[in-house]
Amino acid sequence: MALDYRKCAEEIFSHLGGKDNIISAAHCATRLRLVIADNSKLDTKALEEVEGVKGLFDSNGQLQLIIGTGTVNKVYDEFLAVTGLTAATKDDVKAAAASKMPVWKKILKTPGDVFVPILPAIVASGLMMGIVEAIPKFIPEFGKTDWFSFLDLVANTAFALLPVLVAVSAARVFGGNIFLGAVIGLMMVHPSLINAWNVGNYAAGEIPFWKLGPFTVNQVGYQGHVIPVILAVLLMCTVEKWLHKHVPEMIDLFVTPLVTVLVTAFVTFTIIGPVFSVFENWVLAGAQWLISVGHGIGAAIMGAIYPFTVVMGLHHMYNVIEAGMISSTGVNTWMPIASAANFAQFGACLAVALKCRNQKTKSVALPASLSASLGITEPAIFGINFRFMKPFVAGMIGGACGSLFASWMTATNAAGETVRFGATTYGVTGIPGIPAINNIPMYIVELLIASGIAFTIAWIIWKEEEPKKAPIPDLSAAVPEEAVPAPSVVRCAAGELLQPCKGRVIPMEEIPDETFAAGILGEGIGVVPEEGIVVAPFDGTVTSVFDTKHAITLEKDGMEVLIHVGVNTVNMQGEGFTSFVEEGAEVKAGQRLLGFDREAIKAAGYSDVVVMLLTNSDDLEGVECGLL
Amino acid sequence: MKSFEYTITDPVGIHARPAGLLVKEIKNFAGNAVTIVKGDKSVNALKLMALMQMGIKQGDTITVQVEGPNEDSVAAAIENFLKANL
Repeated sequence: MALDYRKCAEEIFSHLGGKDNIISAAHCATRLRLVIADNSKLDTKALEEVEGVKGLFDSNGQLQLIIGTGTVNKVYDEFLAVTGLTAATKDDVKAAAASKMPVWKKILKTPGDVFVPILPAIVASGLMMGIVEAIPKFIPEFGKTDWFSFLDLVANTAFALLPVLVAVSAARVFGGNIFLGAVIGLMMVHPSLINAWNVGNYAAGEIPFWKLGPFTVNQVGYQGHVIPVILAVLLMCTVEKWLHKHVPEMIDLFVTPLVTVLVTAFVTFTIIGPVFSVFENWVLAGAQWLISVGHGIGAAIMGAIYPFTVVMGLHHMYNVIEAGMISSTGVNTWMPIASAANFAQFGACLAVALKCRNQKTKSVALPASLSASLGITEPAIFGINFRFMKPFVAGMIGGACGSLFASWMTATNAAGETVRFGATTYGVTGIPGIPAINNIPMYIVELLIASGIAFTIAWIIWKEEEPKKAPIPDLSAAVPEEAVPAPSVVRCAAGELLQPCKGRVIPMEEIPDETFAAGILGEGIGVVPEEGIVVAPFDGTVTSVFDTKHAITLEKDGMEVLIHVGVNTVNMQGEGFTSFVEEGAEVKAGQRLLGFDREAIKAAGYSDVVVMLLTNSDDLEGVECGLL
Repeated sequence: MKSFEYTITDPVGIHARPAGLLVKEIKNFAGNAVTIVKGDKSVNALKLMALMQMGIKQGDTITVQVEGPNEDSVAAAIENFLKANL
């Protein structure tokens, strides 16, 4: 009997702990995908028993109910009708799932989310600033021209008004209105406030202030600050969202923006700004201290552990420090450290690229090292250095030496004063960092030290492992196993198929591949293998063995069977697979057909589920899948 | 009859999954007979098993023949599918 979609949807809903517990709902080819606020309110036992639900699991913050192709969309429509939810796309569901990430993870992710989108503005301004400031060193008259003054204005715009860029970007990240975000940012650098950079020109008592209730607020802008801006916008977005939810729709349009800006402005100038600009100064001073302490030992340590923070994805946090440094002092002293660390990874990766003989490794290492020299180190770190570990260590040592050297360097600014060695931008390291640095010759020396040491050490300590031959199961004799009665897993009017591989049998819908799971290639089952041997499911004929030896087709009494080992394993080009039979062979049930190396499949990053399908199940009668 | 040639660009050729998708696509055009020819072999494109057994690889040129009431539009649809997926 056909499934009663309405009843199915209603029953599912009744076990989810109420409408408020459902954050969003979407569906794919086979599954209803729900994001649930509180999993403890679910009655999973009961859910599994609802007629029409073939299984459920919780993955990546999503509750996935397996319902099946052609059915899930109908149940989904009823589900929306029953719950009154609006349709969500899969992306919405993923975004909602991301919001279920632990708080600390979100906090670490935020700086990157805020600062990465504004990078183009920073890079443009920073490089221009580097160039504009470098020219007068060679042609002193240039500094007096109108061109210099004009280019200087263009170059420093993004930094002078950085809080505005940060505020807009943060508003987007926190899900508020970006124009309200812009208002908050603009307010913090309002021309009527005293420019934070000029505060030093005022005597203590001269700075005008407001008396706002119990608060005394200095009329000073937030030029050169980023942390207070991010927090102000976070508050703004929280207030805005809360108001949208609670203010009656009729007056929402004018009440919400008004109250949002008013509340945020007040709290920003009275609490967030004063408290967190001090906090930010500590952070910057701490970073500054770290990279100069102990005659550069701190810098060396930072240069060594920097790539680790890249591996953990924490390096975007440095953007906060770097942006803060530039807008408060004009020099990003953190950049030479990052550059040494990144360029050392380039050196180590290049050593691997030149030394290795494995073409596959070479084809990854060469472009990865090139990209690392331009400051994008992820391919080199993840593709080569971290994988082989020794080059990564070589890179850490090179990075430490380069950073140590950098911490001893100084530079001269356009006015001829000695300043700290650093850059006028952030987000660029390695070769593209050259125009932004205030002491180009020493920067080049630093890069050569970092990459040279990393290259030499990697060249010496890293040795290419002999390519491991896929350990082929020693089963050369393709004789039938002694009496291993495998259970029947697929049945139809024409006969039955026995389990083709030892392991746990799973329903087709749970095969981790949409095409197989949706039954596009026919009805069947999957086996989570316990050993790497595929045996014949019946007495029949082998109709083909794939060149890549990962799949085989068989035929018996009109049943056409495909046995496919793993998902996407075609890409392994036969490596790790052995076939024991040839096309046209007559085989007995239980006879060995294919051998596969489960470790090799895992190492290649694929699932090793063995899929067995009746490819012509549409033409067969009474097809039934699963263990009896 | 309407026919066209297509050279496979997908590096892994017509293996299990693309074959399944191709058959599914062709099933939408019931009433039209679709034949895929490679060299001296030809198969009914609805026969998944036979299609996979052709072992069509990257660089192989296949000929697709369509015969039926709306062969022009069906051939065009199949060609688009091949271009998009294989």
